[in-house]
Amino acid sequence: MPEEPKPAGPPTQMASTLWEGDLPTTVKAAFGERLLESACYVNQNFFVVQADAVIPLIEFLKREVDFDFLVDLTAVDYPKRAERFELVYILYSYSRNERIRVKTSIADGVVPATATTVHTTANWLEREVFDMFGIRFAGHPEMKRILLPEEWVGHPLRKEYGITQMDNNWVKENLGIESGQ
Amino acid sequence: MSTAETFLDSSELVLNMGPQHPSTHGVLRVILKLDGEKVIGTECVIGYLHRGVEKIGENRTYVMFAPYVDRMDYISAVSNGLGYCLAVEQLGGYVAPPRAQTVRVILTELNRIASHLLWLGTHALDVGAITPLFYTMREREEVLKIFENYCGARLTTHAFRIGGLQYELYDGFEDQVRVFCERMLTKLDEYEELLTGNRIWVNRLTGVGIINAADCKRYGVTGPLMRAAGVAADLRKLQPYSGYEQYDFDIPTRVNGDSFDRYVIRMEEIRQSVRILRQAVERIPTGPVMAKVAKVLKPAIGEAYVSVEAPKGELGYFIVSDGSLHPYRMRVRPPSFLNLQALTEMCKGALVADVVAIIGTLDIVLGEVDR
Amino acid sequence: MSKLKQLFRTFFLVDLLEGLWVTFRNQHPKHIYTEQYPSERPQVAERYRGAPRLNNNPENNETLCISCNLCAIACPENLIVVGWERNPETKRKDLIQFTYDVSRCMFCGLCEDACPVDALELTQDFELASYTREGQVWDRQMLEEGPYPVKYKS
Ligand code: SF4
Ligand code: SF4
Repeated sequence: MPEEPKPAGPPTQMASTLWEGDLPTTVKAAFGERLLESACYVNQNFFVVQADAVIPLIEFLKREVDFDFLVDLTAVDYPKRAERFELVYILYSYSRNERIRVKTSIADGVVPATATTVHTTANWLEREVFDMFGIRFAGHPEMKRILLPEEWVGHPLRKEYGITQMDNNWVKENLGIESGQ
Repeated sequence: MSTAETFLDSSELVLNMGPQHPSTHGVLRVILKLDGEKVIGTECVIGYLHRGVEKIGENRTYVMFAPYVDRMDYISAVSNGLGYCLAVEQLGGYVAPPRAQTVRVILTELNRIASHLLWLGTHALDVGAITPLFYTMREREEVLKIFENYCGARLTTHAFRIGGLQYELYDGFEDQVRVFCERMLTKLDEYEELLTGNRIWVNRLTGVGIINAADCKRYGVTGPLMRAAGVAADLRKLQPYSGYEQYDFDIPTRVNGDSFDRYVIRMEEIRQSVRILRQAVERIPTGPVMAKVAKVLKPAIGEAYVSVEAPKGELGYFIVSDGSLHPYRMRVRPPSFLNLQALTEMCKGALVADVVAIIGTLDIVLGEVDR
Repeated sequence: MSKLKQLFRTFFLVDLLEGLWVTFRNQHPKHIYTEQYPSERPQVAERYRGAPRLNNNPENNETLCISCNLCAIACPENLIVVGWERNPETKRKDLIQFTYDVSRCMFCGLCEDACPVDALELTQDFELASYTREGQVWDRQMLEEGPYPVKYKS
């Protein structure tokens, strides 16, 4: 009995394509090995770099290629990976009308350099990342919580932090019963 | 040192403004360091309205999360919904049908007008003109009535669904929009009559809270603030979405970047929105309003950042999918949050009373700042 | 604007008078928009998403709900609980209880959209206040009959 070809399951990785053009070539020339990947997914381009190359790359992009606007800075938590957090910097250039992302992975406890030296915007954004993920940024002017109160325990956007955890703890502490949520 | 000496010597005073301050539009606390009447330092304390929207997003399915985004910037819930739907559509590879796109444009522009009207009314109230509030509320009511007729809710509308629209247009929708456009323009002239020439209004706003184009870029400021500083940055033109490229409209800009310019920009934006509305309402295509979207929505593994021009600035959604029912990461880039960050810069050297005017023209919504 | 004209405007408070003229025009009774709630209740839109209702079949007054639980699954806030029992004779599910926690509902309409037989519906009733939290948890009877808003005399 001939074996039926198995239907291809859903991909287990992001099906990104290679991003080619002037910009990746320029960046590759300047950063060499430290640029790990330049890819494109749903028409959105991004660089993946080594952790120590992020700030130099953002500065390079700002100075040489006119990516002068930091749109957003955030993190994604992948608890199963060795380098647990992925930092995402979204940049925009008004002169080129182009948006790119710069991504890097860091392990838990690593203190990446701050981007405030390049973009002042990063100030509050990095504070939010610290608040939500517990990633400290070296050289940040004011590394403290921003949205949550100072006495908050834990960092809510980490994957191990349950969504009802805070409620349950509060109920247990203040009412002395198990929360029914 | 005796107490009398310290009292006389110290020229600095720390003043706590908010969180329950009527002119902070919600629960924003600003700590001001004052030298007499002059502001020499500001610090914003935010987070009083934090509801963990991003965490909720990770715990709901894509369809279920849609009503929650309305609750971030509740003044312009439709823009929030549009951004979210576009982001998920980008990720899942769906395109809303043309009819849905046009209706989306109409509703978003109506919402932009409603948002600017509410801003105008409350800001005028802060600065000391009470009358415009009643008038702008009256016109805003018309917009809310259209929303109510269309989708059944006035504020947190949940008007759009991923892949298109849930509801067909009701009878008389076009006429209602046409009448509103007509009315809005005459009323807008009336507001201008009340405010633009008014010496109190002009003196309170001109030269207050200046932020130039370079600083806008440095601080990540977007929206009307940036256009008031002279940068014609509007995502509807730069990176058109939902069919905005078909419409003929201008991006108003000014040069000074002060509070008065922001007022002028917003008034002009209402006019441009009316222009878009008039074009759009004449050419609503026929056809389906919903694209074929899988019942169980599971976008492939990947990530996408999609942003729209909300009334307050660039509103972006960065969604990471791991191929399951729930978003793996749901990041919202709130315009108000980043605009608020520039407050420190804008308040330098201002007077205490001007801080109220500056916060007012920032047009922040704390629900979106804190999420 | 010339200096002289500016001076004239400043001196004679023209801007003030212009503003007052606008407010004066708007005083005309035909511009009155105030609603006399609660003596006059506003007519809300047909699609208004307000108080939930569980519809009965108008012919035999039996519930339309087929206990499929789809509404409970669709609800982002997880506030609907459908209780059913399998009827040994008809082999169908009979609705035993249905609770709906109005206090947590955000009236998004997803449950209404999910219902295959239009049994659950968000109606035009918008007066949902109650004096207790428990009063916000509606049971089947309440859902079928709807809220009883107080009738005020005008
Ligand atoms: S309206 Fe929305 S929140 Fe309320 S019960 Fe239905 S699905 Fe749940
Ligand atoms: S979806 Fe409709 S039929 Fe199904 S349980 Fe809910 S109310 Fe009943």
